[in-house]
Formats: sequence, C-alpha cells, structure tokens
Amino acid sequence: MKRRRFDKYRFLVYLRIFSQALFFLLFIFLLLYTIYPEKDEISFPLDIFFRIDPLVLLSTLLSTHSLKSTLLISLIVVFLTIAFGRFFCGWFCPMGSITHFISFIFKKSKIYKPKIENDKKVWWKYYIFVFLIILSIFSLNLFGLIDPFSLLFRSFATSLIPATGFLLSSLSFHLSWDSLYQFVQGFYLERLSSQGILIGLIFIGILLLNIISERFWCRSLCPLGALLGFLSPFTVLKLKIEKNKCSECNLCNIVCPSGATPFPEGKWKPTECFYCFNCADKCPFSEVKFPLSLRESKRKNIDLSKRKLLLTSGVSLLTFPLFRTTFSSRRSNPSLIRPPGAIEESDFLRKCVRCAECMKICPTNVIQPSILEGGIEGLWTPILIMRIGYCEFNCYLCSQVCPTDALRKISMEEKKKIKIGTAFVDKTRCLPYTFGVSCIVCEEVCPTSPKAIKMVEVETPTKDGIKRVKAPIVDPVECIGCGICEFKCPVSDLPAIRVTSVGESRSEKNRMLLEGVD
Amino acid sequence: MERREFVKFLVFGSLLPYIKDINSLTSFPDLAVVESESPYKGTKLAVEAIGGIKRFVSKGDVVIVKPNMGWDRRPELGANTNPEVIKAIVEMCFNAGAKKVIVMDNSVNDPRRCYKNSGIIEALKDMGAETPLPNPRVAKRVKIGGEWIKEWEVLPQFLEADKIINVPVAKNHSLAILTLGMKNWLGAVGGERNRLHQKIHEAVNDFSNFFKPALTVLDAWRMMVRNGPTGGSPGDVILKKIIVAGKDYVAVDSYGAFLFGKSYEELPFLKIAKERGLGEVELQRLKIEKKKV
Repeated sequence: MKRRRFDKYRFLVYLRIFSQALFFLLFIFLLLYTIYPEKDEISFPLDIFFRIDPLVLLSTLLSTHSLKSTLLISLIVVFLTIAFGRFFCGWFCPMGSITHFISFIFKKSKIYKPKIENDKKVWWKYYIFVFLIILSIFSLNLFGLIDPFSLLFRSFATSLIPATGFLLSSLSFHLSWDSLYQFVQGFYLERLSSQGILIGLIFIGILLLNIISERFWCRSLCPLGALLGFLSPFTVLKLKIEKNKCSECNLCNIVCPSGATPFPEGKWKPTECFYCFNCADKCPFSEVKFPLSLRESKRKNIDLSKRKLLLTSGVSLLTFPLFRTTFSSRRSNPSLIRPPGAIEESDFLRKCVRCAECMKICPTNVIQPSILEGGIEGLWTPILIMRIGYCEFNCYLCSQVCPTDALRKISMEEKKKIKIGTAFVDKTRCLPYTFGVSCIVCEEVCPTSPKAIKMVEVETPTKDGIKRVKAPIVDPVECIGCGICEFKCPVSDLPAIRVTSVGESRSEKNRMLLEGVD
Repeated sequence: MERREFVKFLVFGSLLPYIKDINSLTSFPDLAVVESESPYKGTKLAVEAIGGIKRFVSKGDVVIVKPNMGWDRRPELGANTNPEVIKAIVEMCFNAGAKKVIVMDNSVNDPRRCYKNSGIIEALKDMGAETPLPNPRVAKRVKIGGEWIKEWEVLPQFLEADKIINVPVAKNHSLAILTLGMKNWLGAVGGERNRLHQKIHEAVNDFSNFFKPALTVLDAWRMMVRNGPTGGSPGDVILKKIIVAGKDYVAVDSYGAFLFGKSYEELPFLKIAKERGLGEVELQRLKIEKKKV
C-alpha cells in the first residue's frame, strides 16, 4: 500500500490519540491524588469525571427526583453529543481509551484479527440501558455497577492500586529500599481490599473481551455509550464516501473500532461512530470524509427489535419487585456500617453510584466495597470493615468526594457527633472479663472526649482464684462507632469489642435505646 | 569508649569508695526543670542547664529523636509532643554536629495524619531532619533482654542510630496511670504491641532498659490531666509550661509524676524501675536545677 501524505485526518488521528492519552493521564492523576491532602478539606474537585457523566445525572435524577447542582456540568456533554455525536467515547472517555489501547495491543500481537463484518452485538448496550433505566424509574439505581467511570475508578481503587501497592511494597522490602516504601506510603498505595480479586478479575475480563471485537465494552456493553448513542442520530459531522475512486476495499470497515460500518453508503451508524477518524485516515484514496452538514443523509439508525425491547422491559419490571423481597428494608444488617456522611439507607442506595471515591480517599482503608451486607442491590456500595481499618476521628474526607451526595457533605464538628454504629464489649472474649488479664487498649485509643469506653473494676474468676481487674464498658451515648477499639483489640481473630450499625444517626429505625434511658 | 572517658572512668572509679554523693563530682544537675512562656526556649534552657547538648550528642552522630506523635491531634490538644520542643532539640542536635537527625514515631492513628496534624512536620520544615513514616514490616525482631520481654520487633532506625533522644509528652493514662518517658518506647516498636498492655509496667521497664536514651526531655508544657492518652478537648489539658530534661530517664519520669501530684510509689512502673536499679526515683536524692523565665 502506498503511504499517504500527511493530511487533515492523519492530524486528527494524532490529535485524538493525544487527547485520549491526556484524559487518561488526568484520570490517573485524579485517582492518585484522591488521598488525604494534608489538610482537612479538599480544595480540588477530584470527582470531575463523575460530574461530566450524564449517566450519573440521569440515573440519580430518575431514582431520587432530585439532583446535585455540580452534576449539571454533564449537560455540556449532552449538548455536544447531540451536535457532534459520540466523540466523547472516542476522544475523552478514559475507559474507552484503555479498551482502545488494549485492542491496539491485541491487533498488533495478532490476538485479534480485524474482520470486514464487525458490527455485530452493537445493539446489546441499548437493551442493557433500557433494562437499567426502567429499574431507575422504580427507584432501583444499579447504573453504578457498569457506569464506565464508576467501573474504572472502582477497579483501580479497590483492586489495581492495592495490587500495585503490594508489588511495590514487597519490592521495597526485599531491596531494603526505604524511599520506595515512603513513596508507597505517601500515596497510600499499600491497601487491602475485601473484593480486590473479584473486581479485578471482572476488569481484566472486560479488557479480554477485546479479543472478540475491538473495544467490545464500548460497542456492546457500555450504558453511557448507549445514552450518548440515543442522543447522537442527528450529529452534524456526517460520514461521506466519494464514489469516484472508492475501490470497495472495505479497509474502512476493518479499521473501524466501533462497528459503525463506514462502507457501503447508507450503512454508516452515526450513533455508533466514535469519530476516531481511522477510516478517513486509512482510506487509500482519501475518499472517506466527515464534512459538517445539516442535511439529512442516508444512514443506519439504532435498530432495536420491538420484541426484544418488550422482553427487556418485561424482565426489568419483574426484576424490580424481586429486589424488594429482601428484609433489609425492615431490619438493618449489623455489618452494614456506612461512612459518616451517609444518608438514610433507601435514599443512599438510590444515589450511590459505587464509584469507590470514598474508598480511595479513606486514609485508614476502612471503607470497602460491600458484597451482600446491603442486599444484592447494595453490591459494591461502601461499608466500613473495622478489621481492616477504622474511621479516623478528625477525618471526613469521604463526604467531600462523593459525586452524588449519597454521602452528604458534613463539617468537622458534625463528623465528631455522627454515630455510624455502636461498640459492644464481648465479655466472653475480652481479656479482663474472661481471663482477669489487664488490657485497656480499646479505652486507650477511644478518640471521643469524654471517652466512650470507661474502665470499671470487676472481679473475674480465674484458675488462680478471683482477680480484680479493670475492664471496659461502653457508654452508648458517647460512642460514635468509629471502630478503632475493634481494630486495635489484641484478640485478633474475632475482636472482643465490635461495632455494629445499631444506633446509627442516619436511621430512625436502627436504634435500641429510648432517649432518657440511662 | 574514648580515651578521655576511659581516664575519667579510672579516676572516678578509684575515688568512688571514698565519696558519699557522686553527684557532687560533676557540676551538672541531674534534672533541669524550666518554666517558660515558650516551649522552644524552655527546652533549650533545660538542656543547657544539664550540660548542653554536646554532653549527649557528638559530632557525626546519627541521632534519632522520639517524640510522641502517635495521635491525629492538633498541638493545642496536648496528645502529642509539642512541635516547638522537637524543633529546639533537632536544632541543637545539628548545632552539635549531628550527621543525621531522624524524627519518627510508630503512631497509633494513621501516621501521615499524625505527622501532619501534630504540627511536627511543619515545625521541622527546611531543617534537614528526616521524618520517615514507620514501616512495621521492616521492624527487626531483636533481643530485648528484659525480665518479661525477651525479644521484640523494633523499628530499624532505632537500632541504627548512634544516639537516642526521648521526647515524651506528659499525659494521664488509665492503665499506666501516667504516660511519660518510659511508656513512650511503645512507639518505637512494631509487632503486636497492643498485647504489651497485659503487663504494661514490666514492658515499659524492659524497653526503657533496652533503648537507654542518651537524653530524655519531658514536655509538660501542656499536661493532659484527664481522658488520656488521646484527650480531644482543650479542657483535658492544663498549661503547666514546664520542660524537664535529664540523662536519667527514671528520674525524669519520677519528676513527671511529681508534676501530676503523684509519688513514685503510686506508679508501679517506677517501683519496678527502683527495684531493678534503672535510675533514681527519690526526688530528694536528685540535684534539680529549677528555672523560671
């Protein structure tokens, strides 16, 4: 093939790759700096990507009938998409960029061999979108599970970063390289994750799907791609193939990563095109062009079968009541301990997009993706696991990064008062109560003033007779459920003091004591 | 031992049987107690009064300064050593020709937050001191040789330093009754240190005898008198404005107890220290220089 001269479309391709790299680096930058900023308040909007995500806006609007003003920025993306199509997928989306890059690697290494007919399965995502949007209308917001930014951020925050941190920390240990360790610690890379394996494998799996076709996630699964697709049939950037020299070589179809089918005329799908300009760049005769035009042109629109749409809606309508059969709305789960800014549980589930911003910024690593603590509906929403960390008394960073106000913004003073649960001493395991051994670790670390854990003298029968020792009791009024007592308890497997969610400020129901009882 | 020290040792050693009070030989007091409006000045004067930093730090030494910065608390809450005190000590160490000064603590709360919010990182800015985050993974299991603790994990920086300076803050503590200098060593060790509380008075003695600080400076400028060792409210703290310095760490703690209105007999760890002969607990047998500026 003759090498083409450098023209407008070659330039646009380079510009596009530059933009993809830039926005991916921006994403990584924001991810890495989603850490304790050495002051109490965050001064930079770390959740930028969620603010420009119209899917977050739409899904929370539908499920809660309210919206957070910062999310309105995403309307810019909406208007630009109506005007110019899904350029967002091709040029800016970091999830798109990473799948694009992996596809590029797979092509170069011949793991994936491009085909002429490569527009199968492009309609899948619309059915997924319809399925989830109907659930949203019924206030069941599951978009967070597969919103591309939530997926990407969550995968990095709860699996790839902990894995990288483990590697770097081990390296620093084996090489006795303290400055590497200081770097790892400074960036909070050494993390644990309750579901790192599952979330990580899903992410790797999504990248491996690129073996089936290029950018499989973007073309077949991404619900944001579907939303933007619905918005883009009337884009002014229309593909046009000059017929005079076209040899019908199908190269444009082969190089198309989205399944938009540039050739033959009339087959092009404006709702699928990422405007990557590969086709225009690779055409041997420079016949593929993207002129600005307001005129109607021959094109292929979103082609959903009515039967399948009805089926999808039916399944969605049936699924919704199934989700409501759990007893979690009646009785709280003791392990369902939410971060301090969390709003009431049913509202929380409607707003939370499972982005893991709160998990990433938490300095003690205590915020973890849930499995079933909040029901299947609450999969990967944030909970506190006090055996991994504890809620730092002077810290309320998680409430500052939540893009949807599922964790509302709270002040330092408020944070110190909010109860996320209550600690209970397990007298069958606590060292002074069971063995007459002195230990006050829980009282020592209790951060409230006055302390919520007090020491009282008790008489414990032991093998050597009765011993008088100081033993801890919890003041349920002072206790805010921060869990440092559980975390630091020397009884390491099942701590002798444990926090459960009862008494949490956000719930009217999950209580135990009436006011005035003492 | 250097030659001069050896000669001193020989001379003093041969004179020893004839002398009743060994303190009269050296011109330095055992303890300096300085009351000052400024914790920074108070620290400098206190160290000055017991012979100046050069008595404890030699040229080319790697010095580790061990504050209590174990808590995510601001200086005014008195849970951590006053940053001005640390600043004064680091400055003196460099003036004495220290090659390297390390300031670190194996904190209870998140170390990055503790280092920052204690104000110590800020106070040491541009001074050239190193403030590494503790890495419990590299803590070395070493012989402690104590009565109770035979072996334990110790942060490597403490093993590699030539001189150790202990700079605790005076606080109350419901198990140890008070946390002063000797209890501060629980922040230099790794491992399952939450189990040391089971015989805390033995543990602090074993570790004190292991670390053997060249100098102890007790920050009683702010004294936490209730709700310790975390506090959390300015009401938990009283302004005492006192800095105590001494070579004998047991004496420093005994004086610290006195500041809380307690005698050493009320503190089991000091009674053990007395039994083991780790230092002097009887204040009337100590030469104490008091200053008020």
